[in-house]
Amino acid sequence: MKTPLADSSATIAERPSTLSEPRRRQWLLWLVVAQAVFVLGVAAAGYATSALGRTIWLRTAPVDPRDLLYGDYLVLNYNVSQLPGSLWHGAQLPRRKQAAYVVLEPRGSAYEAVGVYDSKPTVNAAQVILRGSVQDVWHSGSRLRHTQRYGVRMRYGLERYYVPQDMGRQLTRRQQLRVQVSIAPWGQARITKVEHETPPPTK
Amino acid sequence: MSRTLLETDGAQWVQKGIITEEQRRQLLALYATDERAIGLLPLLGSLLVGLSALSLIAANWQALPELLRLGLLLGSMIGAYGAGEYFRRRGNGNVGMGLVALGLILFGAGIVLTSQLYQLIGYDLTGLLAWAVAGMGLTWLYRSRFLFLLTVVIGGVVQGYNTGQLGAFSYLTAAFTAIGLGWYWWRRPDSLAGGVLAGGLLWQAALLVNHLHIKITWFFIPAMLIYAFGDWQPNRPAGRAIQGPPLVAAFLFTLGLGLFGESDYYAGELRPPLAAYLAALAGVVAISLWGKQRRGRLSSSTDWLLLLPGFYFTGGLPLAIATLVVLYAYSGSVLLRAHQEQNQDRVTLGTVLFILTTAVAYFKLTWGFMDKSLFFLLGGILLLGLSWYLRRRAAHTFADKTILKP
Repeated sequence: MKTPLADSSATIAERPSTLSEPRRRQWLLWLVVAQAVFVLGVAAAGYATSALGRTIWLRTAPVDPRDLLYGDYLVLNYNVSQLPGSLWHGAQLPRRKQAAYVVLEPRGSAYEAVGVYDSKPTVNAAQVILRGSVQDVWHSGSRLRHTQRYGVRMRYGLERYYVPQDMGRQLTRRQQLRVQVSIAPWGQARITKVEHETPPPTK
Repeated sequence: MSRTLLETDGAQWVQKGIITEEQRRQLLALYATDERAIGLLPLLGSLLVGLSALSLIAANWQALPELLRLGLLLGSMIGAYGAGEYFRRRGNGNVGMGLVALGLILFGAGIVLTSQLYQLIGYDLTGLLAWAVAGMGLTWLYRSRFLFLLTVVIGGVVQGYNTGQLGAFSYLTAAFTAIGLGWYWWRRPDSLAGGVLAGGLLWQAALLVNHLHIKITWFFIPAMLIYAFGDWQPNRPAGRAIQGPPLVAAFLFTLGLGLFGESDYYAGELRPPLAAYLAALAGVVAISLWGKQRRGRLSSSTDWLLLLPGFYFTGGLPLAIATLVVLYAYSGSVLLRAHQEQNQDRVTLGTVLFILTTAVAYFKLTWGFMDKSLFFLLGGILLLGLSWYLRRRAAHTFADKTILKP
């Protein structure tokens, strides 16, 4: 057994830097610039997703205003978060943590899922693809082959909504929400707007 | 020797005629007053100013326009880096490093808050990976142990967030932490940094094992790889330090096996596929022993006793007893080596391990067969006697040492 603390006095003195001072400063400058660019890049990705992406509306399960007491974000559960196994198009049954592509189609005022694929499918002009991952697979019904059903719980990375200050006051009773999502051509998605179910959407 | 000791005891030494008053003053002059205390006041002051600004911004954060928020994040980050570099060049290294560390923390905060600003919480593991990579870059550029430790912590936090919140393990973060910081530690061996790095990597290994839902014994493959890495480190104290956490984990695991291994259910939970696990373990043993041999430390091979995969045997009580024998052999070997090397700290450590093993053995073997009050009485006497004997041996060893080296 070794004793880390007992030996710490025997530390070797630090070696002199192999970089010359001007070179070191230059590298340092680059490193700081890279960090600033990275943060700006995150912001730019946000702007680009809403500017270039396609906008769709999704419905959520009812949200309780009391959920807001637990933090500054809401946990959203979409209608497309639970999908029946009949929508699954894949050579094998879905597995946990597998990537999956959900094809959405407009139905009334919101989009609904029409198929789930294990690789990126081709779709028509009205449809959009939302990328996600399989969070869970649940089984129900008899164990006999013919009656057993399964469903897929999906995770899209859109399950958290950081609530702006004014929103908290509007949410007074338990109700469904309509969430506007922008999907960029490169697959990134972000929430751009959250509304109450009651007012009809203005497209 | 510290200045405090000279100041308090110096007068007595003069009284007893050990040194003269003049010599006392010369000695005092050798140990200049600590100037850190003076550097602390501006640091505390700026900390308070910073906190007041922070609470003002935090209170109004949601009300600020997006671009202003972004500007504040970037401005404070660049400002902290700039101020850190400024103080460092003026020779105020500690304040400088503190500010650079603040800049690094602000970078992480910037990534998280910007993602929240634009509702971009996706699968993207790269965002936080960048944080750990930035920490590594700064560690290399500043050659700073403080930044090294901070980066280890950041790596652990990032991985905890990934597995806990995003449900994914970032192999890149683990690889960057292991390779980037491991290489740094290899070039600039340091005991504290080694111990903390090993701890951080073990944390990530534990998260991975938990994430993959595999048998927890797999944890010891990466853990003992870290141990083997320590075998190759030419600087022995630093090498020992990085081996500390894996050995502590292995010892606790073996202790647990001694306590609960009797139940085949428990042992069954520990059994990974035999061939794969043994092959992986043998590979790590080979790397470790080769390193020990090259660095002339083969006597420490007894550490590997703790990794004997006894949980494959379905022995019930005999398995528990065999494990106890292994634990005795291990703590005995630690004591033996400590006496040979005349290392007081390791004697203490070996004593503690020995007593711990005895306590477990006693609990395990006697509980069922003896009236409980008698159990405690005998157990107490046994432990007291053992500790007395071991202390006597230790005192004896070190008495010899002082006679040999006056």
